[in-house]
Formats: sequence, C-alpha cells, structure tokens
Amino acid sequence: MDPVRKVDFDSEACGSQAPKSKPCPRPKPGEAAGGCSFDGAQITLLPIMDAAHLVHGPIACAGNSWESRGTLSSGPSLSQYGFATDLNDSDIIFGGEKKLKESIDYIAGRFAPPAIFVYSTCVTALIGEDMDAVCKEAGDRLGIPVVPVNSPGFVGSKNLGNRLAGDALLQYVIGTGDPEPEIPLGVNLIGEYNIAGEMWDIEKLMNSAGISVTSRITGDARYKEITWAHHAKVNMVVCSRALLGLAREMEAKYGIPFFEGSFYGAKETTYSLRQMAYLMNDREMERRVDRLTEREESRLAQDLRPYRKMLKGKKAVLYTGGVKSWSVISALKELGVQVVGVGTNKSTEDDVRRIADRVGDDTEYIPEGGASRILKTVRERKADIMIAGGRNMYVAMKEQIPFIDINQERHKAYAGYEGLLRLAKELTYSLANPVWRLAASPAPWDKGVPYDR
Amino acid sequence: MSKDRLEIPDYNSLFSEHRFVEQRLNKQQFEAPCSEQETAEALAYSQSAEYMEKNFNRKAVVINPHKACQPLGSIMAALGFEKTLPFVHGSQGCNSYFRSHLSRHFKEPTPAVSSSMTEDAAVFGGMSNLIDGLENSIALYKPEMVAVCTTCMAEVIGDDLSSFIGNARNKGVISGDFPVAFCNTPSFVGSHISGYDAMMKGILSYLYERSGLEAAPGSGEETGEKLNVMLGFEPYTGNFAEISKILQAFDTKYTLLGDHSGNYDSPATGEYEYYYGGTRLADVPLAANALGTLSLQKYTLKKTQDYITGTWKQQVTALSTPLGITGTDKLLEAISGLTGLPLPASLLEERGRVVDALTDSHPYLHGKRVALVGDPDLLIGLIGFCLEVGMEPVHIVCSNGDVEFDNVKFKEEAEALLATSPYGSEAAVYVGNDLWHMRSLLLNDPVDLAIGSSHLKFAAKDASVPLIRVGFPIFDRHHMHRYPILGYQGALNLLSLIVNTVLDELDRNNSGFNYDLVR
Repeated sequence: MDPVRKVDFDSEACGSQAPKSKPCPRPKPGEAAGGCSFDGAQITLLPIMDAAHLVHGPIACAGNSWESRGTLSSGPSLSQYGFATDLNDSDIIFGGEKKLKESIDYIAGRFAPPAIFVYSTCVTALIGEDMDAVCKEAGDRLGIPVVPVNSPGFVGSKNLGNRLAGDALLQYVIGTGDPEPEIPLGVNLIGEYNIAGEMWDIEKLMNSAGISVTSRITGDARYKEITWAHHAKVNMVVCSRALLGLAREMEAKYGIPFFEGSFYGAKETTYSLRQMAYLMNDREMERRVDRLTEREESRLAQDLRPYRKMLKGKKAVLYTGGVKSWSVISALKELGVQVVGVGTNKSTEDDVRRIADRVGDDTEYIPEGGASRILKTVRERKADIMIAGGRNMYVAMKEQIPFIDINQERHKAYAGYEGLLRLAKELTYSLANPVWRLAASPAPWDKGVPYDR
Repeated sequence: MSKDRLEIPDYNSLFSEHRFVEQRLNKQQFEAPCSEQETAEALAYSQSAEYMEKNFNRKAVVINPHKACQPLGSIMAALGFEKTLPFVHGSQGCNSYFRSHLSRHFKEPTPAVSSSMTEDAAVFGGMSNLIDGLENSIALYKPEMVAVCTTCMAEVIGDDLSSFIGNARNKGVISGDFPVAFCNTPSFVGSHISGYDAMMKGILSYLYERSGLEAAPGSGEETGEKLNVMLGFEPYTGNFAEISKILQAFDTKYTLLGDHSGNYDSPATGEYEYYYGGTRLADVPLAANALGTLSLQKYTLKKTQDYITGTWKQQVTALSTPLGITGTDKLLEAISGLTGLPLPASLLEERGRVVDALTDSHPYLHGKRVALVGDPDLLIGLIGFCLEVGMEPVHIVCSNGDVEFDNVKFKEEAEALLATSPYGSEAAVYVGNDLWHMRSLLLNDPVDLAIGSSHLKFAAKDASVPLIRVGFPIFDRHHMHRYPILGYQGALNLLSLIVNTVLDELDRNNSGFNYDLVR
C-alpha cells in the first residue's frame, strides 16, 4: 500500500460527503449522533499529560467529561484535572473574559504547567469572547504558552474538532522548540492516544528496531516534545481521520514525509515499521526492522495457534471509528475471523477503500449509527461477536451478543504483535464465556425450546 | 482458560514490568524541568494549611467539579415516561456526553437524540434543525412522545421551543396530537438536578394541559390515583423497587411520576428495545386527581412541587432522600399522613430487624469521621444516617449550590440537622465548592471515610481515605445502583457497605497481632 498524499484536503479528511463549503459533513438532526468538535479537540490534546486543559464555558462541558478517557500517562497527571471557568448567566451577559484571565493566572500560579490549553465552547463562541487575545496577553505576561483552541461544539463533528486541535498545534506549538542535541531524531506518531497503554507497546517495538520517537502527538506526550516535532524525519499518521491535515501541513512546511499506517494486526505492524525505516532512508535500519519483524511474526504465529483454532470461521460485526474500521479488519483476518459488517460513518474515503481491499463482497457497510441498524446486521449476518465502543456495549449485552470494546474505554492494548495476541485472547474469552450459554438458554421449566440457539 | 500457552497480562500488570518502567523513566527528559525536590515541595505545599486558605479564596476557576448540567437531568426525567424519546435541542456533542455519562453509571444503553445544530443554526436559529430532527427521530425511533430540552447554544441564540414545535405541526412534520413536551435547560444555570426538575414539570404540565381535564384532588381515590410519588434524579434503580415495596405494604393506590428504572434495569432477553417501562402517559393527567403527592427529593423537585401545589391544588409532602431509620420513619409517616392508612406491620418488623443490624455494627462506626459529597437531597439523607449511627460528618461539599437553587436553604437545613446531634458538632457545609476544595479539606483535617461518587476517588486517594461509593456518577464499580439505599432495606445496604469497608480497612492496615477472625 502506498503512502496516501493526493487529492484535495477536504474530501481526503471527510469522505465523499464533504460539502463544498465545509470541511466535514454535517451531522443529521434527530439521530443519536456522536461527539462534537469541542469533544474532538479535547480528545486530541488531553493526552498532553503535563499541560493544563481549561474549558472556557459553562460547567458541564468539563463536568460531563473530565477524566473519562482511558488515555494513560507514565508520569504527570495534570491533564486529568477538570478545569473550567464555570460561566453562569451573568457571565453570558457581561462576558467571561475576566474570569478566564483569572482562571489562567490561578492555574499558572498553582500548578506551574509548561503550557495551558484553553478550549472555547458553544457559549463562549456565541457570545463572542476574544479568547485569542486573553490567551496571548496571559501567555506574554506569565511566560508560558497559553494556547487557544477554537473548536466550539456547534462548528461540527468530533472529527472536525480533531482537525482544529491539529491546527492549534501547528499554529502555536510545533516549531517553537528545539530538542536537546543528544535526543535522536526519528518518527512522530500522530493520532495515537495511548489508550490502554498501546503507545508504550508501539514505542517498545520501534526502539527494538532502533527507531526513536521524536514526538508523540499526543499519546502520553509532554508539551515540550511537541514543540520540536518539526525536527522529525518521518511522520506516521496512526489515526488518519483525525490528524491527516497536520501531517500534510508538516510535509508542506517542514518537508517531513508522512505515511498512514496502523499497528492492529501483525501485517499492518510490520508494514508500518518497514515504512518508517524506508522513509528514514536508512538501509541498516531496514535490515534491523526485517530481522525484528520476522522474529516477532514467527513467534506470534506459534503463540496464536491455539486461539486461531478456536476463532477460525467466526463472524464479527465491527462498529468503530476512523482508522480502526479497516485496520482491525486486518487483525481479525489474521485470526481467521470474518468481518461480516463494518461501520463506515467515521471513515474517510481512503479508509473505505482500504476496508474494501480487506473484506469480501458480502460484507455489509453500516453507514450510520443507531443501535437497531447495527443489531440488524448482527442478526441477518448471523455474527458471533460485536466489536464496538462503550455506547453500544450495553445494547449488545441486552441482545446477548458477545462483545469486545475497541474504543476509548477499553482496558486492553491491542497494538503490535503482542496486542494481536491479546486481541485473540479477548475474542476467545468473550465468545467462550459460559454466560452466553446461560443467557441464551430458557429456564429449565420452559420446555420445548432447544438448549442452544 | 487453562489452555493458555502464555500469560498475557493486561495493563494493570503489564506496564509495571521493568522494560516499560525503564522506557517511562527515559521519557522524563521531555518533562518540564523540575527537580524531584521541587516536585516534592510543591506537593507538600498543596497539602498545607497555607495552600488550603489560598484554595478556598479561589474565585475564578473550578477544579474537578461535582455536577453535570441541566439537559443530563432532563434526559433522565424523560426516560421515566413510557416510550418517550429524549431530544436535546442544540449542538450534538452535549447529547453524546449525556448518553455516555448515564450509560457508564447504569451500564445500560441510553436512547436520546440531538438536533445537531451547527454554525448555520447559530446564525439563523435552530428551527429547521428542530423540525428536521423531530421528523427524523420519530421515523427512526418510533416514540410515543418526544421530550425536548435545550442546550446552552439554543438558549444563547434564544430559540423558542414552543413556537418551533408549533411550526413543525403546521408543516405537518408531526401530527397535531403527537405529544411533544419541552423545557428550557441552559447549563450555565443550575445543574443536572434542576434539569430533572424542569423536564418533570414540563412533562406533567404538558400532558395535563393537553388532556383538557380539570384537576379534582381526591377524586381519583376510587379510580386508582390516590397518591403520587416522585423520586427525582434517582441514580439507584433499586430505589424504585424498594419504594414500590413500601407502598404496596401500605396497600395504597399510587402512581410513580417518573420511573426510569425500567429503562435502566431492563433484562437481557436477546432483543433490545429502545423503551422499557416508565410512567404511562395516560396516567399523568389522572394524577392530578390524587389525594396528594409525595416527593422524595425536595430540593431537586422544587419547581415540580410548586406546580403540583399551585395548579393541581394538591397537598405535597416533600422529603429529602429517605435514608436510614429516621429518614425512613419520616417516609412512612408521610405516606400514612397523605393516605390516612396505618403503618403496616411488615414494615415495622423490618424496621426492627434493621435496627438490630445497626446495633450489631455500631461499635465499628462510632466516632468515625466522614467526608460527604453529593447532591443536596442525598446529603441530607446521608447526614441523617451518619448521625444516627454515631459517625461524625466533618466535611460536607455540595458542588450543586447555585444561588438560583436556594443554596441558603439547603445549607441551613444541613446545619440545623447537624446541630441536633453532638456528632455533628465538627461539621462544616460547603456549598458551591468543588472536589479540589475537598482535597484540601481531606489533607488538612483527615477523616476515616469518604462517601461520594466515583469522581471523589482522586482526592480520596491523595489523602489515603477509603471511598464508599454512593450517589452519581458511579463509573468504576458495578451494580451499586441495583441495591436500594432508601427505606429500611436501603439502610441495611448502606450499613453493610460502610461497616464492611471499615472492617476491610482494619484487616488491610492491621499490624499482625490483631488480625482477628471474629468481629
């Protein structure tokens, strides 16, 4: 698969639905839709663990969301704090800029973070707060970067918010620092958020092949390391829908080549590592990667044997966002699991193309949400398991469908070779748990119904 | 699975392995250049009395809030009614937060839709979003009623729900008789509990007015509308079953106004439906004929109570969450007072058994210093429970104390209740404060136990205080909400939860010579 770098920016990031004037498709009123741009922006930047993240708006944008992402930190925990300016109705009328300034001052004074990210919300955008000016003034005065993130909820979808966060990084962060001379330069990981510690597995693999990570954008990141991201030799876009634009801009501005890749499944992992070495233009590194990937793949093949036996021929419906829609298909195929339905609502055109490359003709595409739509596919295709995120998990439980969580709340790391092994184990556990037998069988006094469905 | 060839640890143990620890240590070069000594000093300072004072002088920023916003409560209220689809008019992210938030607490799906307003709506108003949204959602999810609430965005631009819904009817998008209840719930005012109240009042008044019935208090006694009972923003599905058990013991006729226990405690039958249980829509106008209304969250349900006394001309008895023996006694007296029925023998026997349990456990609870976090009605209940078993509430934090929400009254009531007992003499009630304030309190004036939602776990951990999870939200423990905490049975559940935490701590922290078998 070639690195993707063509066609125009908008349709690239948003798929064929992209309207001419808008960067991402609009959500449809009256559906149980996903997150907003504020959500998306926060998700992208929250993994910068040592920074403070201040929500400028009424209490609930923070109150409903603080500390609810499973993005792990190896050290600082400031990112886990819920900071909010808590605007009330009189602030709406008279403006909340003073409160914002005082909040920034308080956070800087008490927590001494390397940077403060300030998020606009629907309310502050509508009442016309001049957040950029307040942030600039505070940053100059306090001597730390105070980064405005202009991504109020109403501008659009979560994906658009991811991109706006990327814009904020480009505008205010990347290019503002230089690494210490002893830090080796290598690859930026873009759109990898260290959910359940996946980034640590990836980093370990990269290090084994002698590839160093320059900046993590943003899984378990430190503010400082992102300031020198422009010194990297290669950008890898791990989640394409979110931050492809960032990689494109960095290519244009700093000449850093990029590719889109994934770490779900052995094949994708091997491809990604090879691609890094290739773009680094380092023969010795390529040889090291080849040795590493051969060794890991053969060890994995050995370890997977008992699981493959159990998983062979099982059918799955996959309902997840962005890059996982296609990359997890590869992982499942390697385990012998057939994907009979796949969600495409958050996938780019290229993601959909990649899905098509990986599944058979009889796989159903699920373009939009709603529990009933997913369930219909599970039933009609006689799927054995549903692989989706937290909001759909309890629906699966109601329908007695074995389930594994693949999104932000999961507590298992599925990336890399070891990750595939863990995925195999989780699939097996979920499918084989005796509770399904119990759930599907009638009570003993209900005669006439076969024990197994 | 014994056939495992490999031990595959999850992240709790995996990333504690040496190779990952080393990798993380290597990363420290990227962190803000602070020496270990500076870090330790900053941490110590944050735990000092000097900082606590600074922390309490903080005016501008909220750190770790303990409240959600109005529409979240509205969704819960809407799900208390039969086949009702909660509809959030505003930008879509809010709705997605609400669904996650509620689902993470109840471990159940939350059906709710959004009108997904965007920039165009900000400029031109959200009418077309609302109309399209009603059309789409009714077609997709086939509700029998839609309950619309607003977000900040719709409120700031001043969308008029009533006229928009009227226009939707005029356009023929929804039929003239299809019920669409609504309320205004900006999140820059109030919190999840005032949102619950707004939607409850919205639904009751809407269904009552469109029925054309005239309230005749007491006339429903013969037809089955003797007593109305409202539980309010109720994070415990178990409480619905418990209150029903109590009412049935009285052998009174009653209507639960707002019962979301069906939606949040439905069986796994192999087929998911969008709507489970809930108050029947037809029962709402008839509820205006009841003898009286019993409200179990008087602060939460303030507007609804006013509506029922004002428009339905009914007697309303409003209690805070009836926890413990004293709280439940008040509940029984209230039911008896409203219905004129005698106290059932079965409940009195149950009371005796629970009193017995309390006497069994009291040595382990006496003098335990406790920190409490929660919504006003829950806090009143918990304070009462603590006082009756000899626990000493010390720090009481209520984030939910907006000026518009009668905080003075809640604070006054809490303080008056604390003043009734010597065990309340050390307590201080903080209204409108957050969990970062609570952290200072826990560190500067240590307690034995903290009681509150999952959000309190960070401060509790900093202060090494065991946390007993009560209230909303509880994200990190399973099935707590299935056990009632109200009524005598609820008192027993609370007691077991608390005393067994105390005993667990005894075992965990004992030095060896007192590792007793019998306690």
